[in-house]
Formats: sequence, C-alpha cells, structure tokens
Amino acid sequence: MKETSNKYLIVALLIGIAFHGTSIFFTLETTYDALIHLFFADHYANSWFEPWNYKWYTGFTVMSYPPLVHQSIAALSLIGGLKFGMFTVALISIVLFITGVYRFSLLITSNRTVAGYASILAVFSSSFVETLHIFGQLPSIIGISVLMHALPEIYLWLKTGRYKYLFTSLSLISVTVTSHHVTPIFGMIFFIFPLIGMVIMDVSREQVDSVKAITFKVFINSFFKLFKRIISFGMLSLVIIVGCILPYWINSKNNPITQVPIPHGSRDNFLEITSSGLVFFLIPWGVLLILLPYIFYRYYSKRYLFFGLSITILTVLGTGGTTFIPRLFLGETAFNILTLDRFTLWASIMSLPLFGEFVYRFVEGDLKQLIQDKFGAIYHRLIGGILAGLFLFMTIFTMSLSYFRPSQPQQIKMLPIINFLNQDQHDNWRYMTLGFGDQMAWLSAQTNAMSVDGNYHSARRLPELTTRPIERLENSKFKGVEGIGSLQQFLTTPEKYNFKYIFSNDKFYDPILYFCGWQRLRQLENGIQVWEKLNVPPVSSILPKEDVAKWLKILWGIMPFLTVLIAFILNIQMLWINTLKTKAKAIPEFLKFQNNYTKFSRGLLRITHVWSIILAIIVFYGVHLFYIKNDAHHSPENALLAYYDALDFKEFETAYSLINPESNLPIAQYMLEISVTDGLLSSYAKLDAIETIVTSKTDSLATVKVNTKWITPLEKINKTDYKTLVKLKGKWYVNPEDIDLDLPPDQLYSDNVTKYFNQGRRRITTEQTHHEDVLKQPVLEILSAKLVKHNGSYALIGEVQNIDNVPADVVLKGTLYNDDNKQLATYNAKYHVKHKLMPKEVSSFKINFEGIAWSRTQDSIPKTFNPDEFTPVEFEEQPTKFNLQVAGNVSGSDLYKGTSISDLDISEEQITGKLFNSGLAEVTIPQLLFTYYDQHKNMLWVDHQFIAEGIRQQRQQSFDYPILKNDTIQVINEDMKNCFVNGLPNVSISNKVVPNRIENQTHTVLQPIENKNYSFIKIEINTYIGNPN
Amino acid sequence: MTLKYTYLLFYVWMVLLSMPSYANNGAIELITKTTQFEAGQSISLKFSNTDNETPSLYVSNSYGSTIIKPEIDSGILNYQIPQSISNKTGVVNWKLLANNSLSGAFTIISKQKAVALETYLGPPSIQAGGTDYSMLVVIPTDYLDNPLADSTKVTVKHQFLDNQNEEVVLMKNRIAYKNIYSETKTGRILVSSECLGFNSKEYTVNVLPAIPTDFNISHSRNHDYADGNQITTFSTSIIKDQFGNLVSDGTYIDFFITNRSNHILKTSSTTIKGIAVAKMIHPDHEDQWTVKAFVEGMAESKPIELAYKTIISDFNVLFSEDYRTVTIGPLKSFMNQMVPDGLEVSLSVFQNEIKLNTLTKSSFEGYATFKLDTNNFPSENYTLKIETAGVQKTYPNVKL
Repeated sequence: MKETSNKYLIVALLIGIAFHGTSIFFTLETTYDALIHLFFADHYANSWFEPWNYKWYTGFTVMSYPPLVHQSIAALSLIGGLKFGMFTVALISIVLFITGVYRFSLLITSNRTVAGYASILAVFSSSFVETLHIFGQLPSIIGISVLMHALPEIYLWLKTGRYKYLFTSLSLISVTVTSHHVTPIFGMIFFIFPLIGMVIMDVSREQVDSVKAITFKVFINSFFKLFKRIISFGMLSLVIIVGCILPYWINSKNNPITQVPIPHGSRDNFLEITSSGLVFFLIPWGVLLILLPYIFYRYYSKRYLFFGLSITILTVLGTGGTTFIPRLFLGETAFNILTLDRFTLWASIMSLPLFGEFVYRFVEGDLKQLIQDKFGAIYHRLIGGILAGLFLFMTIFTMSLSYFRPSQPQQIKMLPIINFLNQDQHDNWRYMTLGFGDQMAWLSAQTNAMSVDGNYHSARRLPELTTRPIERLENSKFKGVEGIGSLQQFLTTPEKYNFKYIFSNDKFYDPILYFCGWQRLRQLENGIQVWEKLNVPPVSSILPKEDVAKWLKILWGIMPFLTVLIAFILNIQMLWINTLKTKAKAIPEFLKFQNNYTKFSRGLLRITHVWSIILAIIVFYGVHLFYIKNDAHHSPENALLAYYDALDFKEFETAYSLINPESNLPIAQYMLEISVTDGLLSSYAKLDAIETIVTSKTDSLATVKVNTKWITPLEKINKTDYKTLVKLKGKWYVNPEDIDLDLPPDQLYSDNVTKYFNQGRRRITTEQTHHEDVLKQPVLEILSAKLVKHNGSYALIGEVQNIDNVPADVVLKGTLYNDDNKQLATYNAKYHVKHKLMPKEVSSFKINFEGIAWSRTQDSIPKTFNPDEFTPVEFEEQPTKFNLQVAGNVSGSDLYKGTSISDLDISEEQITGKLFNSGLAEVTIPQLLFTYYDQHKNMLWVDHQFIAEGIRQQRQQSFDYPILKNDTIQVINEDMKNCFVNGLPNVSISNKVVPNRIENQTHTVLQPIENKNYSFIKIEINTYIGNPN
Repeated sequence: MTLKYTYLLFYVWMVLLSMPSYANNGAIELITKTTQFEAGQSISLKFSNTDNETPSLYVSNSYGSTIIKPEIDSGILNYQIPQSISNKTGVVNWKLLANNSLSGAFTIISKQKAVALETYLGPPSIQAGGTDYSMLVVIPTDYLDNPLADSTKVTVKHQFLDNQNEEVVLMKNRIAYKNIYSETKTGRILVSSECLGFNSKEYTVNVLPAIPTDFNISHSRNHDYADGNQITTFSTSIIKDQFGNLVSDGTYIDFFITNRSNHILKTSSTTIKGIAVAKMIHPDHEDQWTVKAFVEGMAESKPIELAYKTIISDFNVLFSEDYRTVTIGPLKSFMNQMVPDGLEVSLSVFQNEIKLNTLTKSSFEGYATFKLDTNNFPSENYTLKIETAGVQKTYPNVKL
C-alpha cells in the first residue's frame, strides 16, 4: 500500500507556520519567559562549557535549567544573532508541535483523517497559543512535542518488541529531557503509563474476540507477556532522564531549592481571583470545556481507560487552589514549587486527538448524521457555526490578550543603557533595573555588567532573596509590602553588593530611592532615569564561583546536541532510507485498532447538550455578576469603588464622570485641581485595599466611610475618608472635595541659591579618574552617637554634622558587637537621616538593624514580614558595643532647604502643625524627623513621618504627628570611641576642625512636650523634590 | 676553660669551612672593578676564568631576580646585565652559580637629570587660619622613571595673594616634600616645583574659610499684621570667620522662632556672600516672635523680637433658616479690605461638651460657608464654636 501524504497535516503545517510564524515577531518578545531563555542562550554563546554566570544574583549556575533550547538558540545566534536564534527555534517548535499532535492523534485514534483534523485544531488551540504567545515557554513546548513524537515509537516497541523502536523511542525521550526536565518526569506518569495500559489492552484485544471479552485476567496475562519490554523501557528511560542532564540533578542536590515559595497565579482559587482563572483555566481549556463530557466518555472507554484516569488527574490538578485536592494530592512542598498550569496544558493537549475525532464526527461522521436526523440540518449548521465561532474567538482572544492587558511595559530601547554601562567603566559596578519587566533579561544578555537582580528565581542564592516570596526585585511593587521591603534592604546597603546604578522605568520607585540615599544622575535618551549611590566600591576583579568537575561541564556542553543528533539519525534517517528503498511500508501496529465511527451515543449527545446549557448559564451568570459589580452608579459602594479605582489608575475622565453633575464643577476645573496635587499619595501610591462602610443612607443621600490602604514605595498608608454621595435620576454620584483656596501674595518669586557642579574627571580620557580630579571627602563630625534598645529592637541614634565647606552626601554604617567583640549585625541608615547636608548642617540619624543586617540572617527574619518591623529574634549574645562609620562625598544634587515649620500646636497626644514651602520648587514628599530627648535633654530616640501630600511653592501644608507613647527605651552604650569619619577617628577630626565647639548650643530651642518618657522634641525637615528643574 | 675550647672549636670549624673555597678561588675572578653605574648604561660583569667552567650568574634587585648565561671571550666570562635590571636604580646583588660562592653587589644610580616631576598634593582644600596644611610630595625622576638621588635640590614655589614663595627642599628617601600651611585669608594657593631646571605644572590648593563667628539678624516685612499670607524675611549680617573671611556659600543657618505659646517654629537658609535670607509666612493670629539663628555648635545671633497685630477683631456669622448652612463673613482686614483668600476658618461641633467634629474651610473672597448635612448631624441640639484668626465665637444649643 502506498502511503499518500496527509493533506490535513500539510494544511495544518502551512497554516501553522504562516499564522504563528508571523505573529511570534509581535508577541514572543513580550512574553514572560522568552527573553529569559534568550539570556541563557547568550550565556552559552559566550561560554559554552562554563556553567557559571556572574551576571545575575551575584552569580548562579546555568546547570539549573536543561540546556538544549538555550544551546540551540546560542548556536543559531552565531549565524544571525540571538533573536534570529530564538525565532528560528520558535518556528521549529511550531513544526514539532503540529507534527507531534498529528502522530499522537494517529496513535490514539488510528485514523489519518481524524489525526489530520486534530493537527489543524492544534494550530489554533488556545492552550498552545497561550503557551507560545503569552508565556513564551519554548522548552516546555519542545519537550511536550518531542514526547508526543516518542509515544508512537514507545507503543511500537512495547507491541512489537523490535529493538529499532526501543532505540528511536529512547532517543526521543533523551531529546525531551534535555529540553525540559519536568516534561519527561510527569510525561512518564501522565502520558507513558496510560500508553502502556493501552498497549496491554490492545494485546489483550488480539487474544479475544471483542473488547467486552477483555477481562482482568486477560489483561494481567498480557501485562506479564509485555512485562520485560515495559521494564526494560522504563529502566532505560530512567537512565536516560538521569544521565542526559546529570549535572542538573547533581546541582539540584547540591543546591536544593530552599527558598520561600513564590506565589503563582496557577495556585490561586480561580473563583476568587478570576484573572488567574481566566489565564490558567479558561484560556487553556477554551472550547474544549464544552466537549468535556465527550472527552471523558471516550477516554473512559475500555481501550483508553488509563488515559481517562490520567486526564482526570491532570484536570483536577490544573484547578490549582480552587479545590483542596491538588494540595492534598501533591503535598505541600510540591504544590508550592510546581506551577500547576502545566497540568491544564497537558490535559488540553491530551484532549486534542479526541477533539479532532469529535470534529471529524461532527463534520462528516456519525454525529452529523445523528444531529441532522434528530434536529435537522439547520441546527447542525448553527451548532457548527457557534462551536467554530467560539473556537476562533478563544484563539483571537488569547492572541490579543497581551494587547488588552499588557503583561510587560512598553518595549525599551536598550542601546542607551548599554552605552551608559560601557562608558566610563560603569560596568565595574552592579546595576539593577526597575520597572523593566522581563526585558531585564534582554538587557543582561547585551551587557557585560552584572545585576544584583535576576529573572530565574530558582537559581537565587542570596538569603536576602531566597527568604522572600519575591520573584524579582525589579517588579517588587506588584508584591506589595513584602516586595518593597525586600527592595529597600538592597537599596539601603548597596556597598555589600557593589551595587551603584539603577535604571528606573517606573517613577513609582523614585521616593524610596531618594530616601534610601540615592541620587539622580541623568535621564537617558530612551527616558530611563539613572540613579546612583555614592561611596560604593567597584566589584572586585576576582569573584567567587562554585566550580564543578570538568567532566560535568563537558557532558553538559555536548550531551544535548548529541541527543538531537542521535535522534535525528535514528528517526529521520531511517525514514529516508525507507523512502528511498520505496519498499512498501508496513502499516504501524496501532493503525489496526480503528474505530469505525458509525454510531454516536445518543446519551452522550444529550449529556453534551445539558452540559452546554449548564456552561451557558454559568457564563451568563458570570457576566451578570461582572456587570453588577462594574456598574458604577448602581450603589454608593459601587460609585466609590469605581471612583477610587479611576483615581488609582489615573483615569481622571472616568473619575469625573462619577462626580455629582450638580456640583457645578466643570471637567476643566476638575482636571486642573487634580493636576496641581502632588505628593506621596497622589503620585506614588497604589491602591491595595478598599473598604466602604455606609454610615448613613437615605434614598438620595449617603455618607460613606472609606478605609483605603495604599502601597507607596515608602510605607503602607491607611487612610480614612468620609464621602458623601447623592442619587440623581437613579444613579449615585460622589460629591467633590473642597479645594485649597489659599492664594500666595505674589505672582513672581525670585530666590538665590548656591549651586554645585562636580565635573568628575576634567580630561576626557578612558583612564581612571586622575588623582588630581578627586575631590576631598567632605569632613563630617559625629556630634553624638549611642546604642539604644527601643521596644525590644536595637538601634544606633545620634547626630551628624557636615563641618566642611561643601555639601556632602552622608553614608552612615553601624555595626553592633557583643561583649566578646563578636560582630552581630551591620546596617546603614535608611530613612532616618538627611542624606544630603549643606555645610554646617546637622541631621539626627537612626540606624535600624533590619532582618538582613544580622549575621544569622535566616533566623532573624520574622515569619510575617513587615519592613517597618525588624525585631530580631532573641540572641544569646546581646549587642553591647557599636562601631559607626560615616563617609562623606561631595554631592550637588537634592539640596533643597526651603521648607519651614510655620505653625505648631502640641498636645499630649499629638503634634499638629503646618509646613511652609518658601522656596521655588514643589516639594513632592516632605519628611519630618523627630528627635526625642529626656528631661536632661539627652537624646533618646529618632522617629520620622512622611507627609502624604506635597507642598506647592509658597503654600502651606498641615501635618499631624502622633507622639510616641508607652515606649520602653534603654540606652545601652554611649561610648563614641569607635566612631570614624571617612576612616579617621571622629575625636581627632573634631579637635582639629572645631576645637572650640559650643556644646549643646541649640538645646535652648528644643520644643518641650508633655510625655511620660520624653520631655523635649526636635523637628527636622527633609524634602523629596520629584521634578527638580 | 670550657669557653676557650669552644672558641678553638669554632676557629677550626671556620678554617675547615673556608678551605674548599680557597682552593677553587683561583679559577674565577672578578675583573670588573666598578661598583657604581648610571641607570641606562650597558653593564656587564667580567670574570677571568681558567677552568672550562661556564657558571650562570644570579642577579637580583628589588624588582626581581634573574639568571644570566655568560658569553665567553678568550677565557673571560662576560655577563651582560639585562636592561630590566640595569635601568633601575638601587643595589644589585649578584652571585656566581659555580662551585665557589663568589658574590658581590653593585649600585645603580640615577642619571641626575629630571625629565618628570611626579607630584602629589593633598588635600586639595584646606581651612584658613594657619593650622591646616596640604602636603606637596615631589618625586623628580630621570628618563627611566628612577627617582633622582637623595639630597637633590627641589625648589617648591607657591603663590598666595600678594606673596610668592620659593623654598629649597632636599630629597630624602627618594622624595621631596613640603607642608604648605594656610594663612588667615581664604583664596587659592598655586603651587609648583622645580628640580635641576625642570619645572612642574601648576597645582592648586583652595583655602576655605574657618568656622563662622557670631552674627546679627534682622527682619523685613511689608506690614506687621498677622494675615497668614504675607512673607517676613529674616537676614543675617555678613557672617565671617575669626579671620574676617566670608563663610563659604551654602553655609546652613537655622532660624528658630519661639512664639507666644512657647512653640518653636523653624526656618532655615544657606548663605550667599555671607548672608543667609530665610522666609516665613506671617501667622494668622496675633503673636509675638523671638527669633534666634544658629550655626550649630559654632556661632549664633542675638535674638530679635517682632510682634504681629491681629487683622480681625470680630466677624459676623449668618445661619440659614434650618441652621444647616453657616456663613462666616465678611472677614475684613486692617483697612476693612476683604482678607486675602485662604484664611483658615474652623467650625467645631460639640454635643454635651463632647467634640463631634471640626470642619475647616479656607476663606474665599472674605467669606467661608459650612454646610452641616443631615447625615452627619441628625436633628438635635449642638454647640457650635467658630474660630478664625485667633478670634473665637460660640453658639450654644443650636437646633439643627
């Protein structure tokens, strides 16, 4: 029999390559994973045999991910660059997937036409579209595709026992494992085990007359008959799975993933978090959901019984945290490490043959006959139209999901950043990106500079990172308080990581950078703001690495391509030989078990109808709920939620549409009012939670207490507003707030300030900065310093003065010791200091010793994380001594000192007052530093407050500060002999520069307060200017 | 007695020790008698040799060591010292690696002609007053980058204001150095040096002012009314250090304002040409301010006092029929003009002596209007307290 080419398959391939091949150029680079694979590929392109990569996480090993896909991209990149390599591999993966589905379908259904249908459907299946165009999981796709190619070979080995098939199947398994490690492991369980069951069934079938005659006894007999083959295959594939990526397993054993699990949407309860439900359940299943009864019915027929079990487990596991079963089934650890979306992907792929079968029967088989007989031809066409429409809708919807809900920021031009890093030896320091999304991997691939952050969290090593459920520091704002808390630890102690530059694509992080002591350098031409930190030493030229044995490196470098080569020779080559010999080819064994598709079960059709109606009801109910929830004017709560939501996303026109139309507030006025408000809350806050409590409500009027929680880069803000709403023509509206009517007396203001410019190196040269061009470090003096224990946590407090004649950037580093002079903790001053001091200016400071400050980091991080709370676990060794290092560096930026305290009112509970901005720049975030003193005017504690609203020029802003109460405070050590300034003893500097210091001169102007612990208070002002002109 | 034996033993041992070397010493002898060379010269050590032996020569200086093979020329061993050694000044030790342990040393001195003056000056800025100094270190070097010999004369020249100084220092331990002390004036010291006719480039030390001394402050304002709107400006006198130098621009001055209720307000500024100008908005109620400025730990001003007169002695309150709209005003200022927009008016609502709420509004064209809605204030009796510009009015038992 001459085998004819399968037209459907060819059509599928043509359409598939045209459709996906064109669209990958618009989607792949904005997927979650593709650029990470590109980064790995860049690593192999530069050092094929050296697995250690310095660029991320202060060094990690690429042996933490199977290398085949990365090495393929790397090899192809030598021809046309990394992106050429990536797109080529993506094209190959598309071809592999379509042909894989064809072969798998042929194996399952034994019908070429059905398999052809399945391959066409596979092209548009929403799970494949999602995996490729949204997730960009190339290794996963290649893994599963090659596995599908392997399944017929495994079947033939088990069935016929010809060694040829053993070798071809094993060769394909080895390709699978080198491209993706999880696929063959779970593929064993979910694809190969049921396949073995199917082979046994087929063998049994041959021994008896009908399917019904297959009893358990017959089955067992057949099993023992095939036992040797099964075992030999199982053992050998185990050897291959372990052997081919042996370095990976060794690395996993040596560096077990000990990190805190990172939340993943696929583990959510899909009913609660509907976005996760959409992405990880609805989209991959797509139109298959309607066919679930058919799929289960068919897979639970006797021949496919084990596939039925397998797909059931896969379906249930894919539901993530919606039910308790996956957690129970997988166990707590596996549940928290695995991303469960892969189970849904496999289930949907497993469904594809039957999907093809259903469509075949629907289009030209018995189902068509049945429906037409029962309901008429029009109904059949109508249903066909609806199904096709839904199928295409899911495909288009999935393709365009990232258009409507971009998962990544706009594409960033990397060249200016790369040039910046190459200039002036900037790549001698580590950098970090903020708000780049997965594009950070593309930047890392293009530069030699190293990043503190990274994009492959399984390979992280720093305890600061592994103890936090933060995927990347880069997008920490999406992880709320924990994310920001983790980020600020890096920002506060950048010296530890030689971390000097930040590329910020997100204004959100600006305040935290400023208050952690960073300064703006300049904006690159692609709009990326560069921040730098002074006083950070460059990365040392020799860096530590974890070396592995040479044979492991060679194995890792050679094995993946070797497996491909062998698989190629064994599979394709033999095909060629067969073709050339033009020998009549024997029909594969599995084609002998054909289904004649003559009688579609009526019951099944009925069930499918009922199921479809149930689904339709669920969908309509969901849409209804969605509408009620989103109809902004439906209730006062809805109106407020919509109003706050609009403000949060800066959709001011939407917000205006919710404003009481009778309040005579024109939109122009509203926009103007919004445009003049600046500050932490209006410019840098993200709404985290909102709670509305209707305090009173009549038919047309409501007062609502709104409790809002805002995530800001600096701290969590809880705010309570009272809003009144009115009902007009059946719709609820929000009454607008009063605006500040204050008018400053003048129109035009002038002011004189001293400006500074440090030109760095004076001569343009590639050499290191010449010693003549290095400025003297400004001389600072530590006026006081003491170690205190406040409510159980330790802190260094004191005052520092710039006694030089130039403005200084101040870095304070405190170290705590116990009685045996053992170092316990070290940390830098974060928010509690004015990081920039003018000549002779004084700042109070406080150094908190947060989680990572302590030597025993793992122990000291509390279980529930709060960045403002850093009580370390009780030590056997208590800190009793301290060392304080202060470093000054000349800085000309952020020297705005125009804010004053213009009014104060002090009660026992709180300090209220007003700040007046007398300068010419708008203060975006004012910060107040409060220093507490006892009755003898001894310094006891330093506290701070950020004012949520900004201060416009020549205007006032009120503040409200609750005075600390019921503190337990204990001064542990006041000995200042270990205080150093720029490496020199503080005492000698003090004696030399200010020998006749007037001690405690400003004690006469300390503000007295009524308090049990404290008698005086000092208020200092620090200001962040968001837009310095 | 024992001691003698010990000595004797020692002598015998010494003699025995020196015998073999004596025996062979006749074979190889040093011919080159010079022990001092100039850097850059071609240096070779010649040895006479009667044996056919060709031992290597081990040569070592402070940069490193090497082994040299000889060239043999009619029985004379000629060891050419490589440039890497002959170009560097210092002592070179050598030793023949023959059976005898013939060894010696020679010195290489620099060529006494400076081609470069390696100069270090730091710190680049110092404080006026004559105690702070910057150190100049000069290392004159020859064409092979060797420091010139000790006791070479180096002239250090510096210019400050009208003075121009020259001073000769001698090189010692391969460097010449001089501490350049500041004088009492601020300015710029230009420094250069010269050695054997070769001049360095110009170096700069900035002399910055010493710590500030006490000063006076003054104020200026458009009027002395507490309108909560105008700006009062505080200025310092010209602040100088003890030597009469202006303090450097940018020096930070804190102004502390103690008001009548003993609250300490604060404004600050930085100096330009010795004068700091700080601004403060007028209070919105009658007040008395005592202002004192500080440069913390270093200098302060004498306090000054200033008073602000109230602009409003009384105001009208107008209730609507249901008492739910309260209009305050007209708020008239000192010339009976309407107060500038933005004067804060507060309305506190009490019920049974308990404060329920305080509403604040800014005045607009002389008026402020409060609306008490039925939601927050159901129909009951309340006491209303209205306050603006320090004037308070109370309306007890208002039925809303």
